[in-house]
Amino acid sequence: MPDSQEKNLSAEDRPRTKLPEAEPRGYFEGESLTRRKVFVVASQALGGIAGAAVVLPAIGFALAPVFERGKERWEAVGTTKDFVPDTYKQVVFTETLGIGEVGKTTAYVRQGSEKYGEDPTEYIAISSRCAHLGCPVRFVQAAENFICPCHGGVYDFIGKRIGGPPVRPLDRFQTRVTENHIELGPRYSVTNQLKAVRTRDPGEFTGGIWEYLYPPRPSTFPPP
Amino acid sequence: MKSPFPSRTKKADQAGNGAAPDENGAVVEEPKPSRKEKLSGHKDLAVHHGGEAGKDVAGWVDSRTNATGIFTAMMSRHVPKGTNWFYTLGSATMFIFAMQAITGVILSMYYTPSATQAYASITHLTNDVFLGEFVRGLHKWGASLMIILIFLHMARTFFFGAYKYPRELNWVIGVVLLILTMVMGLTGYLLPFDQRSFWATIVANNITASGPVVGPYLADFLRAGPDFSATTLSRFYALHMLVVPGLIGGLIGAHLFLVVKLGTTAPPWVRAARPKGAQRSEAVVAGVAVADSDEVSVSSNGVVANGSVEAVAEEADQAKSKTEAPEAAAGPEVTEAESAPEEPEAPEEPEAPADDEETTS
Repeated sequence: MPDSQEKNLSAEDRPRTKLPEAEPRGYFEGESLTRRKVFVVASQALGGIAGAAVVLPAIGFALAPVFERGKERWEAVGTTKDFVPDTYKQVVFTETLGIGEVGKTTAYVRQGSEKYGEDPTEYIAISSRCAHLGCPVRFVQAAENFICPCHGGVYDFIGKRIGGPPVRPLDRFQTRVTENHIELGPRYSVTNQLKAVRTRDPGEFTGGIWEYLYPPRPSTFPPP
Repeated sequence: MKSPFPSRTKKADQAGNGAAPDENGAVVEEPKPSRKEKLSGHKDLAVHHGGEAGKDVAGWVDSRTNATGIFTAMMSRHVPKGTNWFYTLGSATMFIFAMQAITGVILSMYYTPSATQAYASITHLTNDVFLGEFVRGLHKWGASLMIILIFLHMARTFFFGAYKYPRELNWVIGVVLLILTMVMGLTGYLLPFDQRSFWATIVANNITASGPVVGPYLADFLRAGPDFSATTLSRFYALHMLVVPGLIGGLIGAHLFLVVKLGTTAPPWVRAARPKGAQRSEAVVAGVAVADSDEVSVSSNGVVANGSVEAVAEEADQAKSKTEAPEAAAGPEVTEAESAPEEPEAPEEPEAPADDEETTS
């Protein structure tokens, strides 16, 4: 403030002298830390440790599910006679336990078809979860397409995207045959070339550089 | 160079001049006790100190907390001329927040945050509980109303230029509050656990997941796992009930504190009489003591608050004439009432806000 300086000068002419800085109590020559400083730092450090002991476990508790992987689950959905290579059969099975109806999901299952270069002893299970935002798609027999009701995503017979906003083919479930029973296992995602990768959430691209932009999560199962 | 903080300015004014004669020899009157001093009632401290505490419980508490002073300072503070109904949108938002908090607590008495029982508990609450439908309706419609009011409040702040210096931080806090309110909307939407809320949450989660690099992990954190699970609902419930309301409450406190500390702005169509900064620098150039120009600004503040607009114009003129002819100038208290403006060049604007620094630029 220039004006306040002016006032001071006009009021009294004697220049201000600075007092020498007082030495802290108990100071001795060559001391690098005062007692006060030591106690301030020590008490703050103790407080920090006590705070961290409470906060860090709480954060870990909230974050743990990001790093935890659940138990692998397999569920029988039918016998080998139930499925043919030409069309899909809709099955409903439980993907997540303990939450009732909400934990169930729909899969479209068929036998492997030589027309698409698949092994007839294999079974293909395509998830009904749209790769756009996760709405449930349905298989339309007449068009041999999967169609999503929400935003108009369209997939062909083997689940590859042919129209609409989805960013990758439909997810699949691992399958295995035990004593003529088809069992469905963990979910996995595929690239546009149908290469299996760890499952991604809807809306995430797969393959190429996208594997780094949408990194695989530790909470998912490795692909078959 | 005038400080934008009214309270600080006032304090400086009180400290700056006593009854000492200024350079021109005119004795400046002892400043009247400021409004703040009058309201805080510090003089009563001694009265309520001792044995008569039982007589007057409110006074006893007040003398120890200054609750009345704080309350009056908040509730009867000066507002600029031109303050209108648009300025009530913030209070309206806060009222809705209080309503959401109260109805939310009542709803939580009947709600079960479990994936298998949530829907049934909501059905029971809506259909069987006395007035349950009404309370749930208040909570549901209040959520939308709160978002609407926030946007109107935000628009008022934007179009009135009230986000500018020194109130930028309050704008930032307000934006965080808007985002937190939307988080409340997102987390609360899942709780009824019908088809609509379930799928809306799935979609919201997947939108979160589609953010590059951190998105997938963020979605895992929100869902508490790779898929929607039993923990997801209770996680959303905890966020909706405890975490976010706490944050909102604290930030509303900070928001209000800044409103009280910085004051509100006048509407843009109300302009200042003249830039105070310019007036001040003139005084400095002419060599008039700082105490004088401060005195002028204090009394002009008081006058404007009392609503006599013409007096301000006169005072501004008075200050100008004083700077030009220091010998002839008398104390501002003397001239305030009688002397008529004689400076023709002073561009007076009849509408003058009380303590509005925005309009000086």
